[in-house]
Amino acid sequence: MNEIKSLEHATLKVPYEVFNKRYRNAQRVLDVEARQVATSVSDIDTATKKGANSGEIDTLLGGMVEKLTTMKRKASEAITEEVQAAFVCKKRLEHLKEQADALADPSAPQAKTQMNQWRKVRLDRMLVDYFLRNGYYDSANKLADVRGLRDLTNVDIYAAAAEVEAELSARRTARCLQWCADNRSKLRKLNSTMEFKIRIQEFIELVREDKRLEAVRYAKKHFSSYEEGQLEDIQHCMGMLAFPKDTDVEPYRSLLGGWRWGALVAQFRWEHARLMHPARLPALPVALQLGLAALNTPQCYSESTQVSACPACQPPLNALARTLPHAHCSHSRLVCRLSRLPLNEHNQPMVLPNGQVYGEKALKEMMKEHGSIICPKTKEVFCMKRVEKVYVM
Amino acid sequence: MDSCIGVEQDLDKATTKFTALNDHASKVLEDVINQVEELRKEISKQALNTPLSQSQAKAVSELTATVKQSVFQLSTDHRELHATVSRVGKSIDRHFIADYAAVAPKAESFCSDTNRPIMEQAIAQHLYRQGLEEVGDSLVSEAGVSAERGSTFAQLQRCAGALAAADPAPALAWAAAREHDLAHSPLPFTLHRMQALKLAREQGVCAAIAYARAQFPAHAARHERQLQAAVCALAWCTPAAPPPPPQYAHLLDPKALGAEAAELFVREACALLRLAPHSPLAGAVLAGARVLPALHDIRAKMSHPHVLAAWADDELPLEVELGEEGGGYHSVFACPILRQQASDHNPPMRLLCGHVISRDALNKLAMGVKLKCPYCPMEQSPSEARQIYFS
Repeated sequence: MNEIKSLEHATLKVPYEVFNKRYRNAQRVLDVEARQVATSVSDIDTATKKGANSGEIDTLLGGMVEKLTTMKRKASEAITEEVQAAFVCKKRLEHLKEQADALADPSAPQAKTQMNQWRKVRLDRMLVDYFLRNGYYDSANKLADVRGLRDLTNVDIYAAAAEVEAELSARRTARCLQWCADNRSKLRKLNSTMEFKIRIQEFIELVREDKRLEAVRYAKKHFSSYEEGQLEDIQHCMGMLAFPKDTDVEPYRSLLGGWRWGALVAQFRWEHARLMHPARLPALPVALQLGLAALNTPQCYSESTQVSACPACQPPLNALARTLPHAHCSHSRLVCRLSRLPLNEHNQPMVLPNGQVYGEKALKEMMKEHGSIICPKTKEVFCMKRVEKVYVM
Repeated sequence: MDSCIGVEQDLDKATTKFTALNDHASKVLEDVINQVEELRKEISKQALNTPLSQSQAKAVSELTATVKQSVFQLSTDHRELHATVSRVGKSIDRHFIADYAAVAPKAESFCSDTNRPIMEQAIAQHLYRQGLEEVGDSLVSEAGVSAERGSTFAQLQRCAGALAAADPAPALAWAAAREHDLAHSPLPFTLHRMQALKLAREQGVCAAIAYARAQFPAHAARHERQLQAAVCALAWCTPAAPPPPPQYAHLLDPKALGAEAAELFVREACALLRLAPHSPLAGAVLAGARVLPALHDIRAKMSHPHVLAAWADDELPLEVELGEEGGGYHSVFACPILRQQASDHNPPMRLLCGHVISRDALNKLAMGVKLKCPYCPMEQSPSEARQIYFS
């Protein structure tokens, strides 16, 4: 098991879904065009059977050539798009393999730099992904551009989603309905209520504009094929027709509330992410949570024992780490509080008479400078003779 | 690596097939179009508006049959590629872990309304630390969080960014101002070496040698070998030089050299300023990425129901080595007898002989007023043991 296998599923799966979608799209294009050609074929067949003259046949054949040319153009366009989508996957694979290359020969002088660079890129990718999934499109685009990560992140794939959200925020539904139609089969599989919610909102808007008759017609058209669990919502909607639009009666007042548009944007964002990503959470909070748990110690929460370099000790992450499990540790892992060097046989742990333990090297250094040992914690002064060794197994 | 190669094979197969299909489709369609055009020519030879002869009618119906057959064949060919496409998806699912969040049950809480601003504040701080003020500003406004724009890190990152772009000038200026503090650091020499090699590329070897004469002597004692290598590398800096031997290739690749120098710069500068080289966010994410595979491993191995209790505990279920750059911020004492982390209720105790065990272990080992050290022959009274503090 390695970091790539554990973390990078979505990196490949999202562009793969695009590839898959393009494939289905290309299939549709081919089918439609083939049918077009087939109609012109049967036209010609009936014409010849009827004994049409050469001029008519010539025109019909010309029509068929035209259709064949369109098919040729469209087929080639659609297939090229597929290949391009596959190429995006390929590019990401190449990037993932870079890390494997660095791991393959860890002794090479540049391997470490290479590895660190790769990790930096990974963090940036995680950040872009996190931004996209939370609707911070501007930040995502800026970060991807600054770091040159457009190919390795999904900013372009999310561009369409950003447009739909902008339209929804401006209270226009056309793009979102189009999106629902494009992904109908998948949304059905996920039991999505997106389209239904949009329909309800359109109905509400008609009531708000006092076009009640139109609203009824709209309801006839779209609500008749309701699914399980939607009946109550429909009943509430229809009940609205009986009330003025500035009513204080619930639930009609809240149905007319403007906040519903914000909720639609949030729902769209969630449904879109659900459609694209197999994992519920972006990688960033997952890695962050586990990382904080792995660095978390009971000492991170008392001011006297906090360490400035420790991520779990510093605000704001400190507040998050507080709720997490601590790192598991079955072997002591000691560092000198003064020099930050590990305590081991080369740097013996030494205990002062007050019970505080420091490294031998740091204490010797202190002796050289001050001629005595001043415990940094309690400010008590000792001489080196009273310092004893500690053996930690 | 294996996972990448596995997916790559399937993906390559798909790409090849699609490219082949594309060529095939254009060829087939081109072909039928030509055939139709030829037939049209033949028909148009005959006088206008006369009925077709028997053979012509036959030719037309034969041709239309082939046209119909070949276009439907194309659509079928494409449909048959479905297996290849879905194999790529399955291969990704097989080689990578889709539900990586399953081992981090508390990650969800990071996205809650109370915790998300905290996390996003940390992200904004990280962005500012990376010198990405513009992205940070945009996040601050989009997410509605607040974060301080520290100037120290922005300056360091600007120097590091210039280094990565093969321009050592800002870093040299920074280092020159702190010459005294950097006396024991390899940073100044690395920067001067980079500048010399840059001069060699841009203004010729003579300029580089002049620069080296002025700057290198101060560092000769500590970096003799590297200095020799750098000067030797100048031999391959002339425009007509043959490709350099492998031991110098690294010095003559401005990108690799710049990346390395940038990393060294950040590390040394942060050490000098007593700052952590990683932002807290980067440090935690780095550690998290290390923990994930181990947890996935153990998750795959443990399917027994009572094992599931391990996830609910207040400790991670296993110990993960975080490597030289992660962890080690705090001393952690684990009792060698109980194999358990010490706590306020069970602190480390030093026996008279100097060996350290936890208080619980001490109480268990004590026989009345006598205690034999588990590591040496010394006998003592349990009351003689003394609590010690590692942090």
